[in-house]
Amino acid sequence: MRDTVLLLAMNGLIWGLIIALIALGLSVIFGLLDIINIAHGDFFMVGTVLAWFSLSATGNFWIGFIAAPVIGFLIGAIIQRLVIQPIHGAAALSIVATFGLSLILQEIVRITFGATPRRMLAPIQGTIPLFGVDYEIYRLFAAGVALAALVGFFLFLQHTKLGTWMRAVRHDRETAVAMGIPARRVYVLTFGAGFALAAFGGAVAAPITTVDFRGGVDVLPFCFMAVIIGGLGNLPGTVAAAVLLAFLEGLIQSVADPTVARISSLVLMSAVLLLRPQGLFKGFTK
Amino acid sequence: MSEPVLRTEGLTKRFGGLTAVDNLSISLASRRVHAIIGPNGAGKTTFFNLLSGLLSPDGGRVFFRGQDITGRKPHEISRLGIKRTLQVKSVFPELSVADNLWITRQARNRFLHPFRPAASDLEARSHVARTLEQTGLAGLASRPAGTLSYGDVAMLEIGMAVISEPSLLLLDEPTCGMSPAETGRAVAKIRDLARTIDIVIIEHDMDVVFGIAEDITVLAQGAILASGSPAEIANDERVREAYLGRPEDEDFVEEAAHA
Amino acid sequence: MTRRYIEIGVAMGVAAFLIAVPWLIPALTDNFWVSVITEILIWSLFAASVNLLFGYVGLLSFGQALYFGFGMYGVALGIDHLGLSFWPAFGFGIASAMAMALVSGVFAVRLSWHYFAIITVVFSLIFYFLAVSMKPLTGGDDGINFSLPPVFRFGRMVWSLTDPTFQYFFVLAVVSLCFFLMYRVINSPLGKGFLAIRDNDLRASLIGLNVYVLRLIAFVMAGFLAGVSGALFAFFGRYASASYMFYQVSGEGVVWTIVGGAGTMFGPLVGTTLFIVIREIVSSHWEHHSLIVGLLAILAVIFAPKGIVGLWNGWMMRLDERDAAVSPAMTLQADP
Repeated sequence: MRDTVLLLAMNGLIWGLIIALIALGLSVIFGLLDIINIAHGDFFMVGTVLAWFSLSATGNFWIGFIAAPVIGFLIGAIIQRLVIQPIHGAAALSIVATFGLSLILQEIVRITFGATPRRMLAPIQGTIPLFGVDYEIYRLFAAGVALAALVGFFLFLQHTKLGTWMRAVRHDRETAVAMGIPARRVYVLTFGAGFALAAFGGAVAAPITTVDFRGGVDVLPFCFMAVIIGGLGNLPGTVAAAVLLAFLEGLIQSVADPTVARISSLVLMSAVLLLRPQGLFKGFTK
Repeated sequence: MSEPVLRTEGLTKRFGGLTAVDNLSISLASRRVHAIIGPNGAGKTTFFNLLSGLLSPDGGRVFFRGQDITGRKPHEISRLGIKRTLQVKSVFPELSVADNLWITRQARNRFLHPFRPAASDLEARSHVARTLEQTGLAGLASRPAGTLSYGDVAMLEIGMAVISEPSLLLLDEPTCGMSPAETGRAVAKIRDLARTIDIVIIEHDMDVVFGIAEDITVLAQGAILASGSPAEIANDERVREAYLGRPEDEDFVEEAAHA
Repeated sequence: MTRRYIEIGVAMGVAAFLIAVPWLIPALTDNFWVSVITEILIWSLFAASVNLLFGYVGLLSFGQALYFGFGMYGVALGIDHLGLSFWPAFGFGIASAMAMALVSGVFAVRLSWHYFAIITVVFSLIFYFLAVSMKPLTGGDDGINFSLPPVFRFGRMVWSLTDPTFQYFFVLAVVSLCFFLMYRVINSPLGKGFLAIRDNDLRASLIGLNVYVLRLIAFVMAGFLAGVSGALFAFFGRYASASYMFYQVSGEGVVWTIVGGAGTMFGPLVGTTLFIVIREIVSSHWEHHSLIVGLLAILAVIFAPKGIVGLWNGWMMRLDERDAAVSPAMTLQADP
């Protein structure tokens, strides 16, 4: 019993770090572009599929770690330019647009990859004993990579020109434009970055989950939970919320149905929305 | 009628570290047109927001004809007869001009009938027709309000304020952005209204202020700097200092006072 | 004037078509299309519930599937577990949907519109998962089947929905009645209040409208429409399943409404017809019809953001203007 609790809790923690990457992508899109991106879960799913295709094409798993975010970024940038920009990011229309996008992505994957879910072998096999449990090495590795990516992204935001532009536009659009920051380009790059983050998360997660054209459907509500509970526009908060939620769900799953775990997260999310919509974590809010 | 139409006691509103309205105690007599003036950031619009219920005060009370309305919701305060216009002109853009007036009139009723056709309310219709005449907007009646020129939108706002037969009208910079001709029209309309309605007006245009107001209160940094008749205010040193730092501009206030 | 003739002509044509369906369709093509049209009518009511909230009050609900589900399960469980006959089950389904709308609306309607959209999804997801976990009662995603009690009984004459023609007319009657109710509400003082809130909720509160209460009323009305739609659906398929409470169903309703034309009376009907017809036609030849749906949704928001009916209204207005230019006497209505 204790083993299972520990195991599920650790799984939760690791999954939380990976989801944090994906949720961060959503937070960046939602926070900067004000778009409720229904297709975000599918961005993650596309990442897992890209990882699969890179592996079967080249025989090298690690190529996926590069291919997924790069291709994801390009796709995201193109989508922003072709679809979001013509509608000026208008709120309700964006929801319909991203809903349509979600369908398109799922169908394209279904056509190219197929409808049957498949599993990918982890590039690092084996387990090591941890807290009295034999834990898969790849999971630990994945958590490490996710953590590194998270740190890397925050460094990017703080120290690069593009990152600073993103922060400026998010903070105060008009002033940023007045200061000569090319807002439109920032939007394109932001959407691309959001896709890239989610796709990278997908590549990292591919061996621990199934590669399935419907793989995004479950991830989507979770990302929104992390963004809302962490606080809109609060990027570190989103990360913290993602990890916390996944960890809690892992714990609850050891004593109850996974569905119960999901319901309790949703109820928590409703409570936050109703009582403290700016999120549970204080921090660098909008 | 010695009951002041509006009275506040120690009204205070803070935004974080900034005190926008500072312990403001003001008493506005009935049947006189009041102007509230002051430099930018003096707290005038915040004051109106507190009066109309869009903000709730951190301290103090507001009395409307002796009744305590502190902390009431905006639609409740509106029902009591206090109507206001907004600094940035704001109407219902996709509704026609006539519908804008129509719904304003209807909103007085507690109960909005869900099934009877709106057009069947003859009383409302006659009021709408009359207000369209009075504001000179009759020719634009079926145009969506969002397509109107700025001056016409401002007139519509005033029309909306009037059609609900308010007992107190708060006008927030009604002539802001208007051309001289439109301003003239608006001022005439406001003078007309002042005969039957109590009016408090925030304005920056000194011509308008000194042309309409009978009592002026000057706010600076959330508190009353001076109050009195237009002549008194025009000659007040502190007012000149608050508004204008430079001697050259004093002439402007002089001229306006004697306009 | 030209506009009026055209619109009346189209309306009469569509009405005539709808009435003639049970005889016209089998004469032209497969019988199966009668049930497709029945389904279109049911789902257009669902889209209408989204439209009422979004197009007329400015609230985008992404969770109407929840009330659809309550209507659906209300009927299914009412018949299966409570042994209700037709009309009580119908009423039970609608009442449960409205009750749920009231309870969730009390909380949801307080929020500003981004958070409102999100919380409507969250509520629908919570109940979706609840329904899935209570499998013995609800059948989860697989659903439950039930047999249908008759609708009317006159002496020895029994009319039941198992007769496709009767079923079609029953659905047509109910859906038409609901659209008529919507029409009355929209043109009533309450409806104008809705529009005011949609356009400018700040101003609305300043003129004395209680924005919260009006939004709540609209939310319950939309719950009614979605509930009727769900109840009809249960009767139509003799089936209820949790999968119809999932957010993708709500999302489709939103897409149908916006592509059809939000804020118009018949937008939901047009949008629903378009997408379901495409689904039926394409899916018999190609299984990836969702791709077309997605593409259409994107093309629609880019090129026709006001929807198909919105485009139509635009053309009609240009006809009006052309008439006015040709003959000023014909457009005298603006003058009092």
